[in-house]
This record gives sequence, structure tokens and C-alpha cells, in this order.
Amino acid sequence: MHKNMKKATPYLLLFPIFIYYAVFWLAPVASGIKEVFVGMDGDFTLTENLKLMFRSDLFSESVLNTAAFAAISVVLQYVIALVLALLLSRKFIGSRFLMFISMIPMAITPTATAILWKTGLVKDGWINSLLMGLHIIDNPIVFMNAEGFQAILLLIVIDTWTVTPSVMIILIAGLQGLQKELKEAAYTFGANKWQILKDITLPILRPSITTSVIMRMIAAVQVWSIAVMVLGYSKAPFLVERIAFYVDAIPGVDTSTKLAYTYSFLTTIVVLLATVIYLRVSGRNKIAAGGEDE
Amino acid sequence: MMDRLNAVQKTVFAIILAGMVMLVAIPLLFFITVSFSNSTEMTQFPKNIFPSGEVTVYVEPKDDGKYELFYDYQDGSGYTSIITTNNASKLEKHFARQYAVVMDGEEILEEFSRTRTEGAREFTFRKDMFYNFKQFFKIVPNAGVALKNSIIVSLYTILISLSLGSLAGYAIARYQFKGREQINVGLLIVRMFPTVGISIPMAVMLIKMGLYDTMIGLAFLYSIPNIALTSWITSSIFIGINKELEEASYVFGANSIQTFLKITLPMAFPAMAASSMYSFLTAWNDTISALILTNENQTLALVVYKAIGTTSSGIQYAAAGSIVLIIPALVFTFIIRKYIGQMWGGVEL
Repeated sequence: MHKNMKKATPYLLLFPIFIYYAVFWLAPVASGIKEVFVGMDGDFTLTENLKLMFRSDLFSESVLNTAAFAAISVVLQYVIALVLALLLSRKFIGSRFLMFISMIPMAITPTATAILWKTGLVKDGWINSLLMGLHIIDNPIVFMNAEGFQAILLLIVIDTWTVTPSVMIILIAGLQGLQKELKEAAYTFGANKWQILKDITLPILRPSITTSVIMRMIAAVQVWSIAVMVLGYSKAPFLVERIAFYVDAIPGVDTSTKLAYTYSFLTTIVVLLATVIYLRVSGRNKIAAGGEDE
Repeated sequence: MMDRLNAVQKTVFAIILAGMVMLVAIPLLFFITVSFSNSTEMTQFPKNIFPSGEVTVYVEPKDDGKYELFYDYQDGSGYTSIITTNNASKLEKHFARQYAVVMDGEEILEEFSRTRTEGAREFTFRKDMFYNFKQFFKIVPNAGVALKNSIIVSLYTILISLSLGSLAGYAIARYQFKGREQINVGLLIVRMFPTVGISIPMAVMLIKMGLYDTMIGLAFLYSIPNIALTSWITSSIFIGINKELEEASYVFGANSIQTFLKITLPMAFPAMAASSMYSFLTAWNDTISALILTNENQTLALVVYKAIGTTSSGIQYAAAGSIVLIIPALVFTFIIRKYIGQMWGGVEL
């Protein structure tokens, strides 16, 4: 009797979240998927809504932009952060202050970040004030007219400002955990700085870099608020920006609801793919780490 | 010894460091200044990096009992004539709207009357530094309610995530049972699952339940990733808590509930606090789900988002609203900074 109780305890403890996820997660996910495969007339259809999405305005732009944004911004952020981390990963006066400052951009609510940059990017904003004050430019630049790839680049710059300092902190933390003996041993054996970086520092950092890159990718795929708040709807279309557009800008139309569902479906698929990659990579890292211990 | 820097390296190091700090700090400084700027300062170009606390006007007395008011826009053209009046309420409005100087109109006129004896001169007034903040809550409909809503939805999210998540975390940490691995993977998938993907069907479901446009309905959505996150954070802590201590308390005759409340819970407190902060940040920072799941009862982040959509002038009020939005998010991020590195791939800060 007592033993049975003990066996049942974990399931009893987990029971509330089973119920919760069945009601608030599984049910909406299922009905969301169902909506994608039910046509406007209420009948089952495999491709009608997908075709509707493929043919909708700015579909290919939103896919390409999302891919470009996620790829370029993540690569840019990690390269800059890695260089900075390698330069700054030593004890120095004010290192705590640097950490403090570096945490701020990521800690700010995204809507506020968007407003911060909007006050800078308008023609009489602070960016032009600064550039002209430093005599870098003679006439104000009209950033808000940026279109197409330029607009994406603008958003990448904003995202890089937001994310890079935090990534740098994470990499510095990883580097400080690096055993000094390893480096010194390599020096003794005549390795140069570049060889140490390539053969010791980067391999040790790799697990923390790969997992955090995937987490960043997942966040970057869901970009929308800076795009809408800085430039407006449809100026720089992204997947989630399209969802917000169909919900917020043209609500109530049958096709817009269907399109919002279908875009949500697509975004979810993309994120889940990234999650599967994450699971694979982190699983491999665990095995690799275990192998090293032996 | 290999880490010691020479003079050139030291200089380069200092420059990189200073550049890095400035790149982060300068936009923030300008932004804070914008949130304290009055309408007149907003039309000025170039913008100042530091906020000013005063407004200076130049006043010339006129023969008909009126005063001509001049303002220097700092654009090199000197004092520009703004208005000529002796109407107290008009002056009062002008000073509030344009300069964020909140002062009784009669008092302003009395000050100006000194020009009758002393001749045309400059007057300097103190700005009401929180004028934009007050205006934000006045101009934006429901901003006050939205602030309250944001706090409520955050509390609900913390409550739901913590109570359900820590139970699950405890089960995963302390018991070996069938399906434990699968549950772990399942929780990870739920955590990564984009909430946008669920928001629209969730809205339909909440309408049926009568919970659409309520804070508890919104909290049900925000709790989805956070229950999983809480159970993940707390389980790693529960594993670390010394089991002998619990066993000792059993020996002294405590039952399992007493042991949990008196021994295990206090030791798990830091982890629970950290995961509560995460729940708070999810609820506090989100806009897209609030956009989909609410109608009248908006959250502060959503209200700030909408404020910028409607007006491009008066951006300083939206900036002031953002500052209100930022402060709690900043405070809580700094409290949980130790855990952020762990979230991002297992490094400790």
C-alpha cells in the first residue's frame, strides 16, 4: 500500500500540469492546426489556406526577410561579441561596471527599445544630432525612408545593439571558466596566440556558443515589434509581423483570420525545427562532455 | 605574465572599453533626455544629450498692456517671436504645453510686469520634470488601468507558473519513474514553442470560456512557457538540495508536507524567486499576445506600442511611458542576472 503510494506520488505531482497543458496548450495547438486545414467553406482542405498564404501580399518578402534577419544578425552579433569577449576577458578595474552597462539593452522591454530607436531615427532625431555634432555628416539622413534590404539592415543594427552586449557577457563568462593551465601548457609547447585561439579557446567555447546561437535564432525568427514600431506595417515584412498585421491592421476579414492562422502555423514549424536542432546539438554536447571526463 | 599588457595594448584596451560603454550609454542617455524634453525642445535640432531643467524666454513689454514672448531655438538665429498676449489662461496653457512649465497664468503675468519698470529681459523658469509622465497617463486612454493590468497579469503568471511548475520540478528531481525523460523533452518543447502560434486559437477558446479580454486569460497563455521553465529551474535546485537533511527531519517525526514546507521549500527559495522573475518579465514585456487576446483591458506594453502608432508627434510622451515600462523590467533583470547565463547555454555569470 505504502509502496504503491510512493510510486504514484510523481504522477500526482505532475497531474496538474498535464491537465494544464492539455487544456491550454494541446487544445489550442490542435485547433490552430485544424484551422489551417479547414477551408473558408468549412470543408477539409490540404492546401487551400497554404496557397492563400503563398499568394498573399509580401509572403516571399516576409520569408526572405526573416531568414536574412535571423542569419545576418546572429552571425554579426556573435562575431562582434566574440572579438570583444576575447579582448575584454581579463580582470580589470571597472569590469563589473562594464557588465552592468552591457546587461541594460537586453533588459529593456522590446517596445521601449523600438521607441528609443525611433526617437533617434527620425530626421531631427538624436542620431542625426550626434553625427552632425561630430561632423561625420553635413546634412541629416532620412533613415525612415529606408526600404527593402536597407530597412532590414537598419533593424539588424538595432537588434545588434540590443543583443551583442549580452552575448559578450555570456562568452566572457565562458572564457573565464577556461582553465589557464591549458593555455600556459600550449605556450610552453610553443603554440602562438592564433593556434591557442583556434585549438583551445574556441573548441572549449563551442558548446555554449552553439546552444545560445540556436536560442538566439529562435528569438530572431519571431522579430516583429521593432519592425512595426520603427518603420510601420508592411515596410519590413516578417513572418510574425504578418500575423500582427492580419490581426491588428485588417481584423475581421475572413481571409485575414485564415492568413493569421496559417502564418502562425508556419512560424511554429520553423521554431520547432530550430528546437529539434537544439535538442540534437545539446544532446551531442552532453555526450561530448561525458566523453571528455573519462 | 603572458597576460601583462604593454602601454600600447593598454591604450587600445581602454579605447575599446570606452567605445563599448559609449555605444550602449549614448543612445540610452539621448532617450532619457527625450523623455524629459518639452514640446519646444522636441522641435529643436540638434538635440541635447543631457536633459535641461529650465526654460528661458525673453519678454518685451508692449504699449497695449500685452507682452511679446521670444524663444531661442539654439539654431543660431537668436530669439524668435512666439506670441504676444496678456491673457493669463492662454499663457498658462502655452507654458505647460510648449515648455512643460506648470505655473498659474496670473503669476506668469505678474513676473512679466517687472519688464514695465526694468525693461525687456530674460526670464528663467523651472521645468516640471515629470510633465511628460503625467501627460502620458492623461493623453493615452487607459494608461493607468493598463499599468494596473500589467501588474495583475504578471502576478497571475507568477502564481500559476510557480505553483504548477515547482510541483513538477520536485517530481522530476526526486522520483525515478516511467516517462521521466519524455516529460523533460516535452517540457523543453513547450518552453520553446512560440506563444504567437497559440495566441489566435487561444483567443477563440477564451471567448468560449468567457475569459477573453481578461488578465487571467492572458496569464494562462503566458504561463505556458513559464510553467515549463519553472519546473526546469526548480528541478535542478531540488536535485542539489541535500536529501539527508530531509531524511533527518523524517527521523524527528515530521511528515512529508512538514518537511517540504520547513526544509525543502526554504532552500529552493532562490530558484523559485528567479523563475518568478522570468514569469514576470514574460508577462510584462509581451505585446503580440496581448494584442491578440485583449480588447479593452490592455497591458502597459501594448498601450505604449499603440501610443506610437497613433502619433508621431508627441513621441516624448511615448518615451516617458517607455521609461515607466523599462524600470521594473530592468530591476528584475538585474536581480536574476545570475540565471540568465544558465538559460543561454549553461554558463554561470
